[in-house]
Amino acid sequence: MAKLPRALLVAASLCAVIGSYFSGSDFAANLIIWVAINVLMTASFRFVLLIGELNFAMAGFVGIGAYAGGIATTMYHLPLALALLLGAAAAGLISLVVGFVTLRAKGAYFLLVSFAFTEVLRLIYSKVDVIGGNSGMIGIFPPAYLARFYPAIVVLVVLFFLFVLYRMERSDFGKILVAIRNNDDLVQTVGIDVHLTKVWCLGIASFVTGICGALLAHANNVISPGDFSFLVAVYTLAYLKVGGESHILGAVLGAIVLTLLAQYALGFGAYEHIFYGAAIVIGVLLLPDGLFGLAQRMLSGRRWPEGSGS
Amino acid sequence: MDIYVQLLVNSLQIGAVYVLFSLGLTLIFGVMRIVNFAHGEFFALAALLVAVAVPWLIDFGAPLPVAYGLAFLGALAGVLVLGKILYEFAFRRFQRDMIGSFVLSVGLALLLQGLYIEIFSSASRKLPTLIEGTLRILGGAITTQRLVLCVIALLVAAGMYWAIASTRLGKALRAVSEDHEAAMLQGIPYRRIALSGFLIGTLLAAVAGALLAPVVVIGPVIGSSYLIKGFIAVVIGGLGSIPGAIIGSILIAVIESVGGYYFDPSLATIAMFVMVMVVLLVRPAGIMGNG
Repeated sequence: MAKLPRALLVAASLCAVIGSYFSGSDFAANLIIWVAINVLMTASFRFVLLIGELNFAMAGFVGIGAYAGGIATTMYHLPLALALLLGAAAAGLISLVVGFVTLRAKGAYFLLVSFAFTEVLRLIYSKVDVIGGNSGMIGIFPPAYLARFYPAIVVLVVLFFLFVLYRMERSDFGKILVAIRNNDDLVQTVGIDVHLTKVWCLGIASFVTGICGALLAHANNVISPGDFSFLVAVYTLAYLKVGGESHILGAVLGAIVLTLLAQYALGFGAYEHIFYGAAIVIGVLLLPDGLFGLAQRMLSGRRWPEGSGS
Repeated sequence: MDIYVQLLVNSLQIGAVYVLFSLGLTLIFGVMRIVNFAHGEFFALAALLVAVAVPWLIDFGAPLPVAYGLAFLGALAGVLVLGKILYEFAFRRFQRDMIGSFVLSVGLALLLQGLYIEIFSSASRKLPTLIEGTLRILGGAITTQRLVLCVIALLVAAGMYWAIASTRLGKALRAVSEDHEAAMLQGIPYRRIALSGFLIGTLLAAVAGALLAPVVVIGPVIGSSYLIKGFIAVVIGGLGSIPGAIIGSILIAVIESVGGYYFDPSLATIAMFVMVMVVLLVRPAGIMGNG
């Protein structure tokens, strides 16, 4: 693909950070946080798609990250950084165990099991009284002295992990992941442990997902089991399909566009279902490469001069 | 003793519907390699159509059995039309593309669910009882209506099983789901068989939904919980396998009724998941799966 001017990306990132710091009103700040978190969730969902698996357990790991982060903050009064890290570590470690079992299955089987995993986790949350059962946890706030910086912190963390995921995809490890999607038997024959590689892939993605969950918990201040149904993964899938899965920027693009558009659809009840459903159907039927692929095709006519940032 | 009979009876009536539901899922997967997330919406549409049509027909002065009969047929026809539309405009282009078709079906499920809420409103509906009375079998109790429902569901499932085992179309369906290229080489018209398989699967979901309409409370999102159970059943049994779907459905029904009685329904669901994990650990392609 045509190289995207790096300067443009850096400039956009800087604008996002600075802009989020100055976002005065509560609504604008929250919107920025939601968009940023959705972007990172979509990127982590896409990371597991590199090995060719649709990871519906992702919604469950968002929940684990959120609950672990919430517990760290409300019950043990740990610093924000530690709470985020705990959320990520909890999701990552649990995903290694779950992945070790479930990734023996692939394709339809993995997808359905990961889907069931998410739904079962939701039931478990509602049964455990320490974390509030059905009514959930309240009072998950970032420390008061950080509250003003919170949107900027979220954007920074998201950008950092986007970069990490991008570098990993470009590394040898990332190439193995894509090779597994294309032909896992062949990868096995050159002496690479396919199963363990898949488990690590899920672990890394879930670590990032856990961060998303912890960030979300501190942004919403309240979490309940209903927030982490499989619909979270379905919405993420919509972002990815509309944005385009061939490049990580497709995930970013899709999440930004749809999250902003969905603001109009929100609050109309059933329209939210129709909105996301239609987005997926249209994305799959009419935009097989997503918005990113569309943009690429439009740009390929007149090639972007390399290195110039305009 | 009574309690065991009762649990068995409960398992039977839950299982009968699951069998119909998961037979459709597994058939569609076998023939087209599509994991149809929108399967629950066929089921829901049938139940909703019956729930709307029966009171409407009664208002016209139709006697109760006639109203049910007409509503039942109308619901099946309506769902078949929806199935045909989805096949022509969407699934046909995505057969054998497992991820693409799954994503598409997720979108369709969401879209249809939203549309149902718009069209049928999110109100819950309860229909008048068709057949009054309760039967006692060996100390277990079951309403006559539910017993009739079970028997019909089991007859349909048995008929389906026979048709797939012995008829010409059934053999073609099995051949296609085993190896569609080899089947085509034998002169089996894959496209036509795929359409038949998809529509039969759709029809099975519609029968399940329409049969359940008189005995449960119907809302526009009724498909979701059956979908999850149906998926668990076919994963346990092995995707694409007809006997697997039946075994899986019965296991799920037993866990649901026994677990629901001794513990509570959500623990039963968790137990189902644990069972899926164990089955996959031992046999990564389900009990009857081969691949």
